[in-house]
Amino acid sequence: MASAFCRSCLSRLPRASLLPPPTVPRTTTTATAAAATAGFHTSAAHYANPTKKSNSLDSGPKYRQAKSAKMKRKKPVERTRPPPIGERKALRNRIVLGNPNALEPTDMQNISVENMGDPRVRGSVVGLPVSMLEQLRSVHAFKKSQGWGLFRRPATFMRKEALEMGRLFEKISGEEQGKVVKKVITGKVGSGKSVFLTQAMAMGFLKNWVVFTVPETQELVNAHTGYAPLDDANPGLYVQNQATSQLLQRTFKANEKVLSGLKVSQEHPALKSLVKPGMTLAQLTGLGIKDQAVAWPIFQALWAELTSTSAPRPPVLVTVDGLSHWMQNSKYRTADFKPIHAHDLVFVRHFLSLLKPGVNGNSTLPNGGLLLYATSGSNSPRIYSFDVALKQLEATTSGINPKSPEFPQVDAYQSPDPRVIEAFTAPQPTSAKEGKLELQPLSGLTPEDTVGYMEFWAKSGLIRQYMNFRWVSQLWTKSSGGIIGELHRLAGRLRVPQRT
Amino acid sequence: MAWQRPSCVVQAMQLLRLQPLRSSASPLSPTHTQFLLRSQKANSRGYATGTSSDSSVQVVPEATPAAPAIDFDQFPYRPARIVPASPSYFSGSPKFIDHLLRLENLLAENERLPKTSPMHVPRKAWLKLAQFRDFVGEPVPTKKYKSLIKILQRINRIRPEIIPDYANNIINEYVRPGNPYGVKPAPPTLDEMGRARGRGKRKTSSAVVYLVEGEGEVLVNGKTLSEAFPREHDRESVVWPLSCTERLDKYNVWATVKGGGTTGQAESITLALARALLVHEPGLKQALRKAGTVTVDARRVERKKPGHVKARKKPAWVKR
Amino acid sequence: MVFILGVNFPERNLVKKSLETFFGIGHNTSSRLLSRFYINPTCKVGELANKQVLDITAALSDMKIENDLRRQNLDDIKRLKETGAYRGRRHALGLPVRGQRTRTQIKTAVKLNRMERRL
Repeated sequence: MASAFCRSCLSRLPRASLLPPPTVPRTTTTATAAAATAGFHTSAAHYANPTKKSNSLDSGPKYRQAKSAKMKRKKPVERTRPPPIGERKALRNRIVLGNPNALEPTDMQNISVENMGDPRVRGSVVGLPVSMLEQLRSVHAFKKSQGWGLFRRPATFMRKEALEMGRLFEKISGEEQGKVVKKVITGKVGSGKSVFLTQAMAMGFLKNWVVFTVPETQELVNAHTGYAPLDDANPGLYVQNQATSQLLQRTFKANEKVLSGLKVSQEHPALKSLVKPGMTLAQLTGLGIKDQAVAWPIFQALWAELTSTSAPRPPVLVTVDGLSHWMQNSKYRTADFKPIHAHDLVFVRHFLSLLKPGVNGNSTLPNGGLLLYATSGSNSPRIYSFDVALKQLEATTSGINPKSPEFPQVDAYQSPDPRVIEAFTAPQPTSAKEGKLELQPLSGLTPEDTVGYMEFWAKSGLIRQYMNFRWVSQLWTKSSGGIIGELHRLAGRLRVPQRT
Repeated sequence: MAWQRPSCVVQAMQLLRLQPLRSSASPLSPTHTQFLLRSQKANSRGYATGTSSDSSVQVVPEATPAAPAIDFDQFPYRPARIVPASPSYFSGSPKFIDHLLRLENLLAENERLPKTSPMHVPRKAWLKLAQFRDFVGEPVPTKKYKSLIKILQRINRIRPEIIPDYANNIINEYVRPGNPYGVKPAPPTLDEMGRARGRGKRKTSSAVVYLVEGEGEVLVNGKTLSEAFPREHDRESVVWPLSCTERLDKYNVWATVKGGGTTGQAESITLALARALLVHEPGLKQALRKAGTVTVDARRVERKKPGHVKARKKPAWVKR
Repeated sequence: MVFILGVNFPERNLVKKSLETFFGIGHNTSSRLLSRFYINPTCKVGELANKQVLDITAALSDMKIENDLRRQNLDDIKRLKETGAYRGRRHALGLPVRGQRTRTQIKTAVKLNRMERRL
């Protein structure tokens, strides 16, 4: 006989469970009795109706028959409103210029008119004056990858080349007025070309020069801004009004103080209705910002004013970062769908034409100035013609005669772009004050300079161990000879086991 | 004669036992049987040499004189078959077995002699397998060759000052001509420009490093360190021999490396650099060994095998 | 919202993608159209000048797109059927027209090719 106790919990089973066994077909009365008395117990499962045997013919897959796969309708995803236009890009491009957790080196000088050519500051880091930061920001002098957010406030390292440049600024503003120096700056990735340009801009602002910058050459050729044919007189040339307007805006913001002190001195027939005599150059620039359609004529007028000799004008600093994008076809297309060469965009053409010496004994910048065109190590297409042009420029800079056999020539099996080669082969300048285009390679810091740079790190409280010569020398080697970008990457991380 | 075999004796006995049953019903007396046996035995020794110690042989009837002793030196007949010179003639590889037996005997004779420590065993280049096959003139299997070499090595471990000359001569027969271990390569030195050259391998890459005194510049295939190795760990491992011995600012490195991936390239330079550094400063060997740059990492990728997914991995078991 | 050929486009849309919504204009035609009027490929509809909108509309109205193109397509198929061409028969049978295999993968033809073809 079956036990009256539940096996699992040893509680007394209800009487009903001991009534007829499950195999016997049940009457409705026993079923109801079981349901009434079974309560919690699992044994009641014995009395459940036997499950119906599934018909195997029905359950199999159905072939040769339309079968609609019923998809569950997706729940509507709750979408928040996307951030306003431009906000995400602004967030992406946001540059942090300071770190309140870092220490401020007590003995750090600011860069100033006095010390920018002083050999005593060589190998030390000088701060950029806080009052100048807004100007530098407006010309996009800082880039995101340069690591400005690591230190207390923006500061740059004064290497040998920077000091030489400082002295150049002093000369052009002082004794050698009207001198023009043109440089193409090359160097490995992270060797400090862009920061070199930043230093130049800072010096230009200190010396009250007019500073024009093209921080991103790529933006002019990747077809992200509007373009239009220039005019009927110059077929095949294209103007980018939006980009020109942005350039004017940068120039205006950064040089407002200088430009508002200068008056229009020439007639501008193209802008007769807009330009009034006695207008300041700042106002003139403002016209181009307001109306993009006239941005290019306004820029030309501004340039003509700055290079005129009829009134006293300050020297001009022009910096371009990432030259190689300008050495190939742009993404723009002509009306008959042919690619437009970057040199056919008047904006690019203007800045590249500055590399050539002026004609008829005139200087390109009669009031003096500095042209600094840097290549980029990271974001730069490989262009054979540009490589050759730079090699040739390097040869001419080091004094090799273009007719001598050592002069680098184009490979016979390559088809270089003649316009690119031509852009960098400048004849001897006719003006005495105008320098020839030259190449300035930037390499790594010397070991002594590295020590100076790392001292700044130590004083900012960013090094996790005591700084010693061994550590610095290791750093110097591992950054492949003091490449400053690599130093920056490694310095926070590299640890040298201390000798016990 | 039929009596020679014991079974014949048994037969004869049985015959004797049955005879009285056939001739007469009375059993034989024991003495009679003994005599009969004796006389039969004596008869059976027709060609005995007379040197037997059996006392029963002494009782030989005078009538039958002993045959003369056989002079084996002047055997009147040629042997029925040609006896081979070597006892191992009928084995599969008689010459080899002769060699083996000779060496085994040699070892057995000299086994008691004292051995040298393994460090001081005179280094001998034994014949290689192919050379040994030529030497023996038989296709010797590898395993047997190895066992022979083992015996040779064992004999060679006997102290050189004690080992008998004949043993030395025998084992020298098995030494390769033109002693390869006699010519030792000259220890690497700096060349006339003050460069030390070192080669290293790791995984599938191989590197050559030229090390000169300098201030810590490194060029790998003409590129700077950060260009050649974007990964910091690789850069670290390239200059590790210099940095662990604090020589980073004292040498310039010029390396060429080919094959393999970044890790293999970096670590092959490590080895090559360590070897080049040892040319400049041999005293650093212990320090470099501690830093793990002297030992060659001989591991290579294990080959994939048929029936396996990778070198060892097998396909998953599937029921059907 | 900007009207181009009677269709309203939101200002944040790309001009190129907006043009490609017309039947008969794909990547190639739209980029050629843009370069004809000196519009950069990343230009948004809202950035178009009035003249450019008019130019585009004029150019589009000259082109055979949308219903004209559909009608022409249908006419072509109809002509094939009427002349009793093999291709016309295939169209009518709902089978692939251009010599594809019919053992498998003819869903597109089954779906589209029929007596009363619609585009």
